[in-house]
Amino acid sequence: MLRLLATIKKEWLLLLRDRTGITLLFAMPVVLITVMALIEDAPFREYQEVKFDILTVDNDHGRLGRYIQEGLQSSGQFNIVDSVKGHPVTEQAAKEMVNAGDYKICIIIPQGATGAIVSNANKIVNDISRRMGTSIALPVSARTDSLHVTVYFDPAAKKAFKSAIHQALDNFLTQVETDLLMDRIKQQLKRKDVPETDTMQIQLKAVGLKEQFAGESKQPDVISNSVQHNVPAWSIFAMFFIVIPIAGNMIREREDGSLLRMKLIPGSYLAILAGKMLFFVGVCVVQFYLMILVGMYLLPMLGLPKLMLGHSHVATFIVAVCIGLAATSYGILVGTVFKTPNQALNFGAISIVILSAIGGIWIPLEIMPPTLQYIGHLSPLSWGLDAINNIYLRNMGVQHILADVSKLVVCAAVMLCIAAGIEKRRIS
Amino acid sequence: MTSIAVQDLHKTYKGALEPSLKGLSFSFQKNAIVGLLGPNGAGKTTTISILCGLVKAGSGQVKIFDLPQDAAHRETIKRLVGVVPQQIALFPELTAIENLVYFGNLYGLKGKGLRSRIDEYLQVFGLEKNGNKEVHRFSGGMKRRTNIIAAILHQPQLLILDEPTAGVDVQSRSMILQFLREYNRQGVSIVYTSHLLEEAQTICSEVAIIDEGRLIVQGTPDALIARHGDCSNLEDVFLHYTGQAVRD
Repeated sequence: MLRLLATIKKEWLLLLRDRTGITLLFAMPVVLITVMALIEDAPFREYQEVKFDILTVDNDHGRLGRYIQEGLQSSGQFNIVDSVKGHPVTEQAAKEMVNAGDYKICIIIPQGATGAIVSNANKIVNDISRRMGTSIALPVSARTDSLHVTVYFDPAAKKAFKSAIHQALDNFLTQVETDLLMDRIKQQLKRKDVPETDTMQIQLKAVGLKEQFAGESKQPDVISNSVQHNVPAWSIFAMFFIVIPIAGNMIREREDGSLLRMKLIPGSYLAILAGKMLFFVGVCVVQFYLMILVGMYLLPMLGLPKLMLGHSHVATFIVAVCIGLAATSYGILVGTVFKTPNQALNFGAISIVILSAIGGIWIPLEIMPPTLQYIGHLSPLSWGLDAINNIYLRNMGVQHILADVSKLVVCAAVMLCIAAGIEKRRIS
Repeated sequence: MTSIAVQDLHKTYKGALEPSLKGLSFSFQKNAIVGLLGPNGAGKTTTISILCGLVKAGSGQVKIFDLPQDAAHRETIKRLVGVVPQQIALFPELTAIENLVYFGNLYGLKGKGLRSRIDEYLQVFGLEKNGNKEVHRFSGGMKRRTNIIAAILHQPQLLILDEPTAGVDVQSRSMILQFLREYNRQGVSIVYTSHLLEEAQTICSEVAIIDEGRLIVQGTPDALIARHGDCSNLEDVFLHYTGQAVRD
C-alpha cells in the first residue's frame, strides 16, 4: 500500500511541477468540446431551427401556388422569397442563383397548375356522378400533357434535405388535390339537396400522427442536439489522449533510469504500476467531469443547449472510471512498446484519431458502411460512447452499461498483459 | 565468505552476433572494495545487470552472499544489494528530498526514520542546503551524490556502483571516494566499475579485469603491478592485458 500511495503522490508532484502540461491536460479538452459543439451545432439545427430562404416562381397565380407558399412559410423552416431587389424572380434568374449557391432551393410552379388540378377533380366527380346515374358534366380541360412543379437544388445540398423538401411538396400537392376534390363533391351533394355537412374533412383526419419518445425522459429533443452528442463523444476522445502523457512519462522514466531504480528495489513493480494507473485514471475522471460541467454551464452561456444528464450518476461514474482505465492501459501499452517519445506521440495521437473516427465519435456509427460499423464496434471509444448514450439519452442505469464497461475493463486487462509480456521479454 | 561468486556465466542478447559473456567466473571476498574493470564492451554492465537480477543469464551460476540469484532469492538479494547505476536514476523534476522519500517509501521506509536518514546522508554528501532543490537544477556532481544516496537508503550489505564518478569535478569525486572508504569500513562490501584506473588503484583492495566476456586477471592492484616489470601502475597492467586497440 505504501508503494502505491507513494507512487500516486510522486505522480501528483510531477504533474504539479509541469504547469504547462497540467494546463494543457485540462484546458485543451475544454476548448475542444466547446469548439466542436459550436461547429456542429449548425448541422444539428439544420432541419429544426435554421431558416432557409426558398426562391419561388409562381407562374400559376392560383390556389396551388398560394398553398405551397403558405404551407412552406407556416412550417417555420423556410422564408419564401419571390422577388429579389424589388423585381419578381424569373425561372432563369432563380436557376442561376441556386446554381451559384446563393439559395439552396428554388420551386417553379407552372402556369395552369391549379387549373389542371381542378380539371382532374372535375373529371373524377363526373365519373362518380355518371356511375351514380346522374348527368352532371363539370368542365374538364382538353389538355393531356401532365404538369410538374419543378424544384432546383443547390448542388451541395444534402440528400436528406432534398428528401425532406420533396416530401413536403408532395404533401402540399396531395392536400390541394384533396381539397379541390372535396369542394367539387360537396358542390354536387348540395345540388342533390343533401344537408351540408363538414364531416368529410374530419373523417379524412381521423387517424393522425403522434411522436412519442421511447425512453423514460420527458425531453424527446434531447437526442438531436449538438451538445448532447458532442460533449460525451469528445470527452471520451480527450480522455483517451491521456495516452500521450502516460506514454511520455513511461519512456522518460526508462530513459532517465528511474524505472531501472524502481526495478532494483524489492517488491512488486505491479504496485508501482497500479499507483501510476490509479493516478491517471483519476486525472481522466476529473477531465470527464470538467467537460460535463462545461456542457452544463459554459455551453448554454454560448447559446447552445444545456447538457442533459441521465438519472444514474453512479452509472456515469462507473463508465468514466472504466474509460479512464482503458485509456490509461493503452497509454502504458504504447509507452512500453515504443522506445522514443516521438514514436509514442505519433502512434498514440494518430491511433486515437483513427479509433475515434471508426468508433462513432466524429459521425454516428449507424450511418457508416456495414463493414466499418462492424470494425467501429471493436473500438473502445465506441463502447464508452454507447454506455454514456445509454445513460444520458435512454436514461438507463448500471445494469444496462455492464456489457460496455465489461468490454472496457477486459480490453484494459488485455493491454496490460501485453505490456507486461513485452517488459518481461526485455528482462529475459 | 564471498560477497559475489560468479561461475561460468554466459549471456547472448537476442539478435546479437557475439555473446556478451563467455564463461565469466570470479569471486569477491566480503567487506572488500573490488574494482570490476574492462574496456568498452567487455561485459561489465551485463555482469552487473545479471548480479542485480535485471537481466537473466543464459547459463552459469551467480551467488550473492551465498544466495543463488534466482526467482526464489531475487527479493532477498535486492534487499541486500544497493545499486548505483551509471545513469542518474532520479526524477529530474522532483527535489532531492522528494526523490529520496519516494525511493525510501518503495523500500518500505517511511516517517521520521526515513527523514532523519535522508537528512543524515544529505549532510554526509554536502547536500543539506540543496535538499529542496529540483534535481534538474543540480550540477553533475550533486546529481551523482544524490544518485548514491538513493542506493544506500535501505542500508545494503553490498553496494554496486557503475562509474560513480563519471563526469564529476575533483571535489565531488574526492567526496564520493572518501564516502566509499568510510562506508566500506562500516562493513559494506563494494563493487565498483570505472574507466579511471588511477582512482581504482587508490580505492580498490582487489581488481578483476574482464574482456570479451571473460575474466582476464584478478588480484590486488599492487600484486598485479608487481607481476609485470614493465608496468608502473594499474593503467599499464590494464593495457597489457586488454591491448592498445580502441574499443567502441
